[in-house]
Amino acid sequence: MMKRQIPLLIVIVVGLITLFGHFFSNQGIQNFVDNDSTQWYDIIASFAIFLGALNLLKLQLMKIYKKQNNWQYSILAVLGFFFALFAGFLYRGAYTVSLSGVAVENHQEVAGIIATGTHNNVALITAGLEGNDDYTIPMVFMTEGGAEALGEDLSSYGATVISPVQWGAHLTVKLGNSGSLFWWIFNYIFTPLSATMFALLAFFVASASYRAFRIRNFEATLLLSAGIILMLGRVPVGQMISPWFVGFIFILAMGAVIAPMVKNKFITVSIVVAGIAILTVWGVLTGWDSTRPAIFYFPVLQEWIFNVPTTAGARAIMIGIGLGIVGTSFRIIIGLERSFLGEK
Amino acid sequence: MNKRALILAGFGAVIILIYFQLLKSGIIFRPGNEPMFIAVILVSLTILFYTDRAKRGEKIYLRSIAGLQALEEAVGRATEMGKPVLFVPGIMDMDQVETVSGLIILGYVAEMTAQYEAGLNVPVSRSIVMEAARETCKESYLKQGRPDQYFDDMVHYLTDDQFAYAAGVNGIMLREKPAACFYQGKFYAESLILAETGNSIGAIQIAGTGSPSQIPFFVTACDYTLIGEEFFTASAYLSNRPELLGSIKGQDIVKLLVMICMILVFIFTGLHHYGWTNLDILTLFTSR
Amino acid sequence: MKKFIDILIKLGSVDRRYIFVLVGLSVLIPLIWPINIPIRATQQSQNVFNAIEGLAPNSKVLVSFEYGPSTKPEIHPMSLALLRQLFENGLKVYATALWPDGLFMSADAFGTMESEYDLEYGVDYVNLGFRPGNEAVVKGIAADIPTLYTTDTRGIQITAIPMMKGIHDVKDFDFVFSLSAGYPGTKEWVQYACDPHNVPMSTGCTSIQVTEVIPYVEHGQVKGILAGMPGAAEYEKLVNHPGLATGMMAAQSFAHLVIVAFIIFGNITYFVQRKRDQKK
Repeated sequence: MMKRQIPLLIVIVVGLITLFGHFFSNQGIQNFVDNDSTQWYDIIASFAIFLGALNLLKLQLMKIYKKQNNWQYSILAVLGFFFALFAGFLYRGAYTVSLSGVAVENHQEVAGIIATGTHNNVALITAGLEGNDDYTIPMVFMTEGGAEALGEDLSSYGATVISPVQWGAHLTVKLGNSGSLFWWIFNYIFTPLSATMFALLAFFVASASYRAFRIRNFEATLLLSAGIILMLGRVPVGQMISPWFVGFIFILAMGAVIAPMVKNKFITVSIVVAGIAILTVWGVLTGWDSTRPAIFYFPVLQEWIFNVPTTAGARAIMIGIGLGIVGTSFRIIIGLERSFLGEK
Repeated sequence: MNKRALILAGFGAVIILIYFQLLKSGIIFRPGNEPMFIAVILVSLTILFYTDRAKRGEKIYLRSIAGLQALEEAVGRATEMGKPVLFVPGIMDMDQVETVSGLIILGYVAEMTAQYEAGLNVPVSRSIVMEAARETCKESYLKQGRPDQYFDDMVHYLTDDQFAYAAGVNGIMLREKPAACFYQGKFYAESLILAETGNSIGAIQIAGTGSPSQIPFFVTACDYTLIGEEFFTASAYLSNRPELLGSIKGQDIVKLLVMICMILVFIFTGLHHYGWTNLDILTLFTSR
Repeated sequence: MKKFIDILIKLGSVDRRYIFVLVGLSVLIPLIWPINIPIRATQQSQNVFNAIEGLAPNSKVLVSFEYGPSTKPEIHPMSLALLRQLFENGLKVYATALWPDGLFMSADAFGTMESEYDLEYGVDYVNLGFRPGNEAVVKGIAADIPTLYTTDTRGIQITAIPMMKGIHDVKDFDFVFSLSAGYPGTKEWVQYACDPHNVPMSTGCTSIQVTEVIPYVEHGQVKGILAGMPGAAEYEKLVNHPGLATGMMAAQSFAHLVIVAFIIFGNITYFVQRKRDQKK
């Protein structure tokens, strides 16, 4: 009962309330559907992170303990885990120094001291001092000692106040080119690693395209042509490719396509020559316009591909997927689909 | 006409009548959602009708879906090669229907790995998915009479972050070299990274997702891809339960109704545009 | 000739790592030795620009940051170009983030803006920060902002921020801009906030996401779209402030040319191989 019926009852009741609650004018139900239910879910998911984190730690520590294959990498994983925890929850690592009451004649000198201590631009700091009576030095200090050291150097010029950044705000605080320890981890470790993984896509797209874009049949040829048009049309170099050049290539390609179908080679050659001649005359008459004929101009073609067939295809797939989601959700709500509970 | 169809249609009509009556009073229902309400009732009754028909014995035809038929072949291949099976249930949480569908397929794959005694590795990106996947796998192994083969850590958590997860799964693929890789769930940009890495290790890959922008990547790099609705019909297809098959047919009939509506809207919008009718049919389908 | 065909067929099954090296070089070389390639804005980018230009001074614009470090190279240039246009036109900027990483991205963007413009926090812009909940946050913004956001990213009470006076829900904004890399993102803004409440919106997103968003653009629910890095470069050109994206266009152009060349080469070897197999 506990494992099957109660979860199923919860799914059915909450599902029906969420589905039909949208139509009721009762504020309580509206609040539950729009806010409370999703917030309950977020709270559960947030606390569930402990399960995942503990599982991760357990597996990595077991790997180290049993000295399994590549256990050295697990040390990095565990260290990284605790370091991020430390920087986010235990160590603020964010102190600011503000300076007030600096005499005008000392601005240049003070700016020099601050610039040296914070590796900032003297002119910018001078401008800041001149514009603000109470000036916050454009640097976040990771240690109180570091802040105090600069404060001491400036104490003879004005009143210095060292303030710790609020917990929470310490995660994202940034002054000048510096931030807290957590900010440092995010910008100098996490960001480059994430960008690197995303950059892998460029290489994988190249190898996947090379492997998959072959003229095996009509659909594959269509895919290939659309892919090439989009790849060239989306980038500035596509604008530099003359539509006339593309037109000539198109005529030659058509000649290659019809050649096997027409026995008399003379007819094929005549068609190709006629096509080239027509295009040449057109070009001469229009002064070889760099953006016409539009049908051969890559940027125009790619816009058309995006606006017409892509939109149509995307809409069709979205409707299909939407109906699939409706069907699956309905089956879950009425209790027909119980596989996710382990039942078959 | 079918008696049950009439009963359901009558029931639906009564509900809609009650809805509109109560709507007038403004106490229970809020205005502006009439088209949506009618659509919900219509869709629900259509699916219920065909589910009922299937339960009563009507044979429902479902075309063969290559990706689902290949599941057993893929697990068999892994067993022969003595290598594990990798199952990736997407990167989103249980609030996404695609993740639920992915876990349904995981249940069937787990049954097969239990039956064939192949290893199963399920790295997940969310803690709740980890728990749900463990339940699913445990039940599958129990059902096959192989509870001894199941262990909790076959489903393990990596990280919530998209690309860190992709890096982790790639690492598993390159180290353990699974013979079969299943990508079933909600994916974003990491889909091609996973699929290309799987391709590089020579694994047989079967993907299924409801993310329209990732389908082309999976089609290019995987051996089989469940596109759009095929992914959501997996449960019905694999279980062959009549009521689930009936609901799929109901879904298809709803799609037919949507197509008819689209044609009607197209025609009437054109007529309205040229002033041949005062009826602006789009207002009937607009819900706020 | 036979030897040439043999070499061609051998090159056709080249190890993917050679492809990676060539693609890497095609990206690296233009970055080291920059090449100036003229950029022409597409209609969609122009639509975005026109939509923002059409706003009256002091209009309130909600900018939502839904991207992280992985997509920062694609979307951050858009963010900077957008903020430049907003601040130069004297518009009031309200920032929010549906992703936790978006909080850092917004802080970074505003940090850059602070060094370029004379901005006063709380008067010219405010950063409301990140709230968990995905589309529930969008619904919350559509319904009741003061309940959702009690403090901003600096810990200041919302009621103490001058520009938050009179802001109750999404209808109090004149425009919404979503800088999106996935879920939650543009679609959620359209579905739960902007379309139901008739608030005009526009978006900048990754190239991969464009196919999902384009139906909304075509229907007019989203006013134009900045599609990936080319969109960012076009927008930088329109706001007359070439930046990171413009500088990377040459690299992207050459990378695309290399990939197209590989595709054509791959097909040539495919046909040669097929003809040889047919002869056998």
